[in-house]
Amino acid sequence: MRRVAVIGVGVTKFGKHERTSSELFAEAAADALADAEISADRVQALYYGNVVGSETEHQLHTGPQAASILGIPAIPTTRFEAACASSHAAFRHAVMEVGAGVSDVVLVGGAERVLNVPTPDSTEYFAYASDAVWEQTLGLTFPGVFALIARAHMQKYGTTEEQMAAVAVKNHKHGALNPKAQFQKEITLEQVLKSAYVADPLKLYDCCPFTDGGAAVVLASEEVARKSRRPVWVLASAAASDWMLLGDKRDLSRVPATERAAALAYKQAGLAPTDVDVVELHDCFTIAEIVATEGLGFFEPGAGARAAEKGMTSLGGRVPVNPSGGLKAKGHPIGATGAAQIAEIVTQLRGDAGSRQVSGARTGLTHTLGGNTATVLVSLFGRG
Amino acid sequence: MAEPVITLRHFFERARAGQLTGVRCRKCGELAIPPKELCPACYERAWEPVPLGGEGTIASYTVIRVAPRAFMADAPYAVAAVKLTEGVSILGRIVDIPLERLAVGLPVRFRPIVRNSQTAIGFGPA
Ligand SMILES: [Zn+2]
Repeated sequence: MRRVAVIGVGVTKFGKHERTSSELFAEAAADALADAEISADRVQALYYGNVVGSETEHQLHTGPQAASILGIPAIPTTRFEAACASSHAAFRHAVMEVGAGVSDVVLVGGAERVLNVPTPDSTEYFAYASDAVWEQTLGLTFPGVFALIARAHMQKYGTTEEQMAAVAVKNHKHGALNPKAQFQKEITLEQVLKSAYVADPLKLYDCCPFTDGGAAVVLASEEVARKSRRPVWVLASAAASDWMLLGDKRDLSRVPATERAAALAYKQAGLAPTDVDVVELHDCFTIAEIVATEGLGFFEPGAGARAAEKGMTSLGGRVPVNPSGGLKAKGHPIGATGAAQIAEIVTQLRGDAGSRQVSGARTGLTHTLGGNTATVLVSLFGRG
Repeated sequence: MAEPVITLRHFFERARAGQLTGVRCRKCGELAIPPKELCPACYERAWEPVPLGGEGTIASYTVIRVAPRAFMADAPYAVAAVKLTEGVSILGRIVDIPLERLAVGLPVRFRPIVRNSQTAIGFGPA
C-alpha cells in the first residue's frame, strides 16, 4: 500500500441549519479543497456518509447529489451507511483506494440534517439502526442502548452517575473553546446531575444533541501530498464489527468492536496506546466515552470512569480526549461525525487548534462507533 | 437448499403461544437465540430447535422516558437484557413489574407482548 495523507479539512458550524445535508457537505468540501490548495478538477472520487436522508429529507442517492451541489458531478461517488460511523467507514475505503494506487486525490465526507423534524421522529429514525424485529419492537432507543451499557458498567465496576457527569462537564469545557461547536458553554456537575432522565441511568446532559452539519477531508497519495503545504499522514485505518443484537453480547460493559479495531489499527501503525497524544472518540453518551477510553487501551477495563473524574482525559491531562468538545458539545450530525473527528485531529497535529490545542501533539487517534456498538472504526494519524 | 430449522415467523408464532425457542448445534452443542443460519462456534449448519424455559434474571435494564413516536403513549417503560437460565441472553420489554422494583439480578419470566399483529419479547414477574 502507498502512503496516504490528509491534505485539507473543512467543517461547517454544527447546530441547526436551514440548508439541506448536501448543501452542508458542499460548504465543508469547498473549504477542505481550499485548505488543501487543490483545484476541484483534481478530485477523482467521493466517499460519502449520510444516514437518515431518506427519513428527514426524503432523499436517497445522496452521493451524486452531494457531488453535484459541490460542482463536480462526473466523478464516481459512493454513499456509506454504517449508522453513526458512516463517514469514518467511507474514510477507510477512500484510504484503500488511494493506498492501492487507483486514485491520487479523493474527497471524503458526510452530512446530516435532523433538526428539521421533531424529537420523537428523530428518536425513531435513529432507532432504525437497532434491529427492527428484536429491538425496535421493544421501544428501545439509542439512549436506551447506552443506558443498558451504563448499568452493566456500574454493576461490574462501581461506576457512578457523578463520574459519567464528569465527562459531560469536561467535553462542554472543551466545546466552549471551539467556534464550530453546537454548545460553546460550560456546564456544572450539578446541572448534569439535576437534568431529567432520558433513559435511566442516563440523563439529558449525558446525551449528545441532535445536530445538522457537514464535514470533509481531502486525501492524497504521497506524491501529491509531498507538494502540499501541511500533510498529515494516515498511519492506520481499521474497522471491526460485533453482533448486531445487544442480547448476543456476553458482557455489556465492554465494546469488543472497539477493542478489535484498536488492536488492528495499532498493529498497522506499529504504535501503542501510550504513543497517542490526542484523541477524538465517540462520546454519543458519557458512558460511551468511558468505555471507549478503556477499549482503546488508555485505561484498564473499569478504570475509565475514575480517569475521567480525575481529569486525566481533559486538555492538559495524560491523554486529552475530545478537545473539540466531542459529540457531546461539538454536536453529532451522524453522517458527518467521523470526518469531523478526523478534521479535528488534523487541525491538532498541524498545531492550528488555538485555545484548545494539545501542545506538541504528534500522533492522534479517531474512534467512531455505529449503532448498537456493532460497527467501530479506528484511525491513527501522524505529522511529518 | 436446506430447510431453515426455524424461521423468524415460526419463532414468533411459538413465542405468541408463550414458548421461547432456541437452536442447539448438533455438532458442538452451542445454544443460540435468536436462530442463526450457521453456528457461530463451529460454523456448521446443524441446528435443532430446543424449547427454552423462559426463566432468567435481569442483567441490565433501563427506563425509557423519551420514546420513539410509536411508543410515546407507553412511556415511561422498562427494557431489560435478560440472562436466561440456559445461559443465553435476550432483550425484552418489562411488564407488570413496578419500575422502582427493577434491579440487576431480579428473576423474571418470558411473556409475549402482542400488539396488533406483531409479537415482541417481554418479561414479567418470575
Ligand atoms: Zn456448532
